[in-house]
Amino acid sequence: MGKWARMTAAVRRGGAWLLPAGRRDWVAAVWAEAREVPPGLTRLAWRAGGVWMLAREALMPRRLGRTLLFAAAAAATAWVTWPQPWAGHIAEGRFDAIAPALLVVAVLPLMSVRLFGPASPSRVARSIRVLCGATVLTLVSAFTVMDAYDQRAPRQPAYLRVFCGPNCPGAVPRQGRGGPTWQAEILIMLLIIGYVSATLFLTSRRAGLARSTLVISIGTGLLFGAVMFAVDPLGVTNLATNPWLPGSAADPLVALAWVLLFGGPAAAAVLAGRRYRGPDGVEPPHTVRFSQGAAAGLLANGLAAMVTSVLGAGTVLLISRSPGLVHWVTPGRHLTAIATYRYQLNTGGNAGGYLLMLMFFPVIGLIMSTLAAGIANPAPRQSDSPGSGGGPPGPEPEPGPEPPGGGRAEADRVPALT
Amino acid sequence: MTSRPEFSAQTLSVLAALCDQPSGWQHGYALAKQTGLKSGTLYPILIRLCDRGLVEARWQDEPQPGRPRRHRYRLTSAGLASAAQALGGAAERAAELAAAKAARKVRAGTRPAPRGAVAGSTP
Repeated sequence: MGKWARMTAAVRRGGAWLLPAGRRDWVAAVWAEAREVPPGLTRLAWRAGGVWMLAREALMPRRLGRTLLFAAAAAATAWVTWPQPWAGHIAEGRFDAIAPALLVVAVLPLMSVRLFGPASPSRVARSIRVLCGATVLTLVSAFTVMDAYDQRAPRQPAYLRVFCGPNCPGAVPRQGRGGPTWQAEILIMLLIIGYVSATLFLTSRRAGLARSTLVISIGTGLLFGAVMFAVDPLGVTNLATNPWLPGSAADPLVALAWVLLFGGPAAAAVLAGRRYRGPDGVEPPHTVRFSQGAAAGLLANGLAAMVTSVLGAGTVLLISRSPGLVHWVTPGRHLTAIATYRYQLNTGGNAGGYLLMLMFFPVIGLIMSTLAAGIANPAPRQSDSPGSGGGPPGPEPEPGPEPPGGGRAEADRVPALT
Repeated sequence: MTSRPEFSAQTLSVLAALCDQPSGWQHGYALAKQTGLKSGTLYPILIRLCDRGLVEARWQDEPQPGRPRRHRYRLTSAGLASAAQALGGAAERAAELAAAKAARKVRAGTRPAPRGAVAGSTP
């Protein structure tokens, strides 16, 4: 074998590794067949076709899109958390904090294919997955940036007084002003893993959520998330809501947020149960309707928490990077540089409230949707069956024949959700 | 509105070529010659047909001396049924199109005289 042939064979073998295992044989097949093609340009064209096939199969548009999207998100995260001078000090980059989150967002979807099967064949399911990844990266970036700034005292005395507060011990700068402890960081990481895993499962084929259920969930979640962001645009605090809310608990927007927190998942559960149809349009059993409804409420509030966190933490991030934006969220007020710095510090501290939303909103959603789905889809009672009114109980009905394959009948199949 | 055909024209040509020897194995280059498709088009079509269980692919058992083993292809029973239906459908569609074209020609030939023309005024 000549040098050229050995080289092309090595390139072909290397290229074949870009393909999934089931596709590698095909590259070998094209190359083997090239020996039958007349030498010269025809054979070259045949091999070029093989390379084209390799490129097409390796870089399927969807896979390429996913890879590019993740690369863009990772680059944006690195850019946002890149050290920059701020308030008289240079914050240290915390790449050790963002690396685990990037790893979770990159690896868990690959692992989920083995655990939960492929993603549900719906654009809605893929959008939910993208939203989940964006939430994780935005939150981690926000916390990383704010912690990095928070743990380094500024050098200028005027900023130092703001940094230390009223109990500042003179002009002695402290290293570290709280920030999350390692226990808190583990908790955040566990929360992220839980969120990503639950999202991957609920949007996988194995969960069996219908497209209508996903659409209802995302609709409810987006509405509630938008309202919640308007209520708490800069973390969970009354101060942050002041720019466009008078701060009153009776504000209509705040009232609407409370209604949506409890009522949204309940409504989504009832709707999802009603809209669900079996694979062939058959009437599904009540257990399937119940599980679709319960999942819809869980997903709706989870999505709302994600939307609020992405928008809120993103705003906090932007404010931390460009102080000019503080004027945008405090219209009509002239803020000095020191006041802007105080605002930025407070806002960063309040961003932790989004973690509470991420923890508790889905739990509330699951409780409300379970209750609502249980009420809307009651189990059929024995007395409802024909011929059971009054009189002595009749003989037990004959058990139906076993479906072929020893499995349950198609209509009785409940998605592996609850 | 007409329904979207199940197979593309190129896929139909591959199915037709495989239908020529329903029970025999065929090689990639032979299929390329029959269909006129380039390898970069033919093999992705074969991959998709294999994924759908319509085509069976197998490596040659005993290669010719000094040559690598070749990949061979043939229709599965499901593929045969699907190909027959698709090719029949395609033939029907082609016949319908030809009939429609002929009808248009006939209508054009018997089109009424334009307004203003006097009956019987044609030479």
